[in-house]
Amino acid sequence: MVSSCYITFPTTFFAIRAESVLKNQPYSFKMVPVPRSISSSCGTALRCSCEDISALKNILLQNDLELEGFYRLEESGLKTPVATTLDLDH
Amino acid sequence: MNKKLNLYFDNAATSWPKPEAVYGAAERQMREACGNPGRSGHTRTLEADRLIYRTREAIGRLFNIPDPARVVFAYNATDALNIVIKGFLEKGDHVLYTAMDHNSVLRPLGRLRRDQLITTTIIPCSFQGFPDLEYLESAYQPNTRLLVINHASNVTGTIAPLKEMIDSAHKRGVKVLVDTAQTAGVLPIDVQNDHIDFLAFTGHKGLLGPTGTGGLYVSPGNDLKPLREGGTGSQSELDIHPESMPERLEAGTMNSAGLAGLLEGINFIFDVGIKEIQESELKLRKYLYAKLQSMKSLTLYGPSDSNQAVAVISFSIENTDCGEIGYILESSYGILCRTGLHCAPLAHQAMGTFPEGTVRLSPGFFTREEDIDHLVHAINEIIRFTTG
Repeated sequence: MVSSCYITFPTTFFAIRAESVLKNQPYSFKMVPVPRSISSSCGTALRCSCEDISALKNILLQNDLELEGFYRLEESGLKTPVATTLDLDH
Repeated sequence: MNKKLNLYFDNAATSWPKPEAVYGAAERQMREACGNPGRSGHTRTLEADRLIYRTREAIGRLFNIPDPARVVFAYNATDALNIVIKGFLEKGDHVLYTAMDHNSVLRPLGRLRRDQLITTTIIPCSFQGFPDLEYLESAYQPNTRLLVINHASNVTGTIAPLKEMIDSAHKRGVKVLVDTAQTAGVLPIDVQNDHIDFLAFTGHKGLLGPTGTGGLYVSPGNDLKPLREGGTGSQSELDIHPESMPERLEAGTMNSAGLAGLLEGINFIFDVGIKEIQESELKLRKYLYAKLQSMKSLTLYGPSDSNQAVAVISFSIENTDCGEIGYILESSYGILCRTGLHCAPLAHQAMGTFPEGTVRLSPGFFTREEDIDHLVHAINEIIRFTTG
């Protein structure tokens, strides 16, 4: 089973701003269409490794970004992946 | 017979030529990166999103706006002025504006006044186009909420005393809307140092971009009521437009081809340097003004000191219709300018040129001194012809 994590945004502006803020940071991530199993206000999400998601969230909040949600997606074969909402405050 | 030229002296209407990169970027955006920004999530959409974001950042850098979320795109300065005027004012408000203001300010305010939503007071201006600051001091009312300042007149080029006017308004808690249609890209503007609450800009004049681009800056803490609502590509399940900036004030598909061009126009300004552009236009205005000043039967309007103006000059010739002068300049000499009232009727009343208007000459960054020599030669011939 492969898992990856997602950050979603309230608007496109914040998705693109996130990409711009993170581009010089030592983390790999990708801007992707929001998977169907995640509900999001904006069609573009940030996909990253689940190890990095807390660090990325902190950088984005330090840069005054509005974020919407944090998710882990478990993929197994061609089955629809299962999304779990992450509570990163705890 | 004179050889017909192709000389453009109408940069105050729209700048021409544009830097070469502006044409290329607009075309490339349509040919290669054409996705609907914010909508589909595929790579072309993302490319369009990134382009719009970079253009927001460039506008931010140009006007010293720290947060690109406060930069909103619109069709032009008129659109931006409407967004502020109709999104900020409420029933019972009083508004101050000056006689140098353009119809893009006079008309939206006129609509709200006729609908009995607001009251207004016009600050009179001198013959040279400077607002009467003493009058301004006495014009505030307890319900005054907004002062509109035309940073530079599109008729005379007169630069308004921005700092004094903004200080005056802020002392009374009145917000300021600055119309930079004639100054963005030509004069240094710093929203933080100048304490500007709202700034309207256009993309196709001093910023050297395509028509159909422009926008506004909204300072933090001033949330405007949106003038238009609709698709943004986000929060699509709600029938309420997103509250967060900049989407709050933007709706519908963005002009990404235009904004691609605008970004290159602004990059050109960064490359050359705004100080250098200002110097170059100042030199052209001084040169043109001095030549015109020496002509008999020609009346010049606006400041005689070119340091107090952008590169816009208005004139008239005794007993000669200004429209006729414009027609002869184009048909016999291939020189393009603008004649008439220039959408600023109150400015012409202040100068005593209403309703006949003036001939307006507006050189730009790409105008050469020899172009001005050709222009001056043509005007001299017209004077000789019309005054016998």
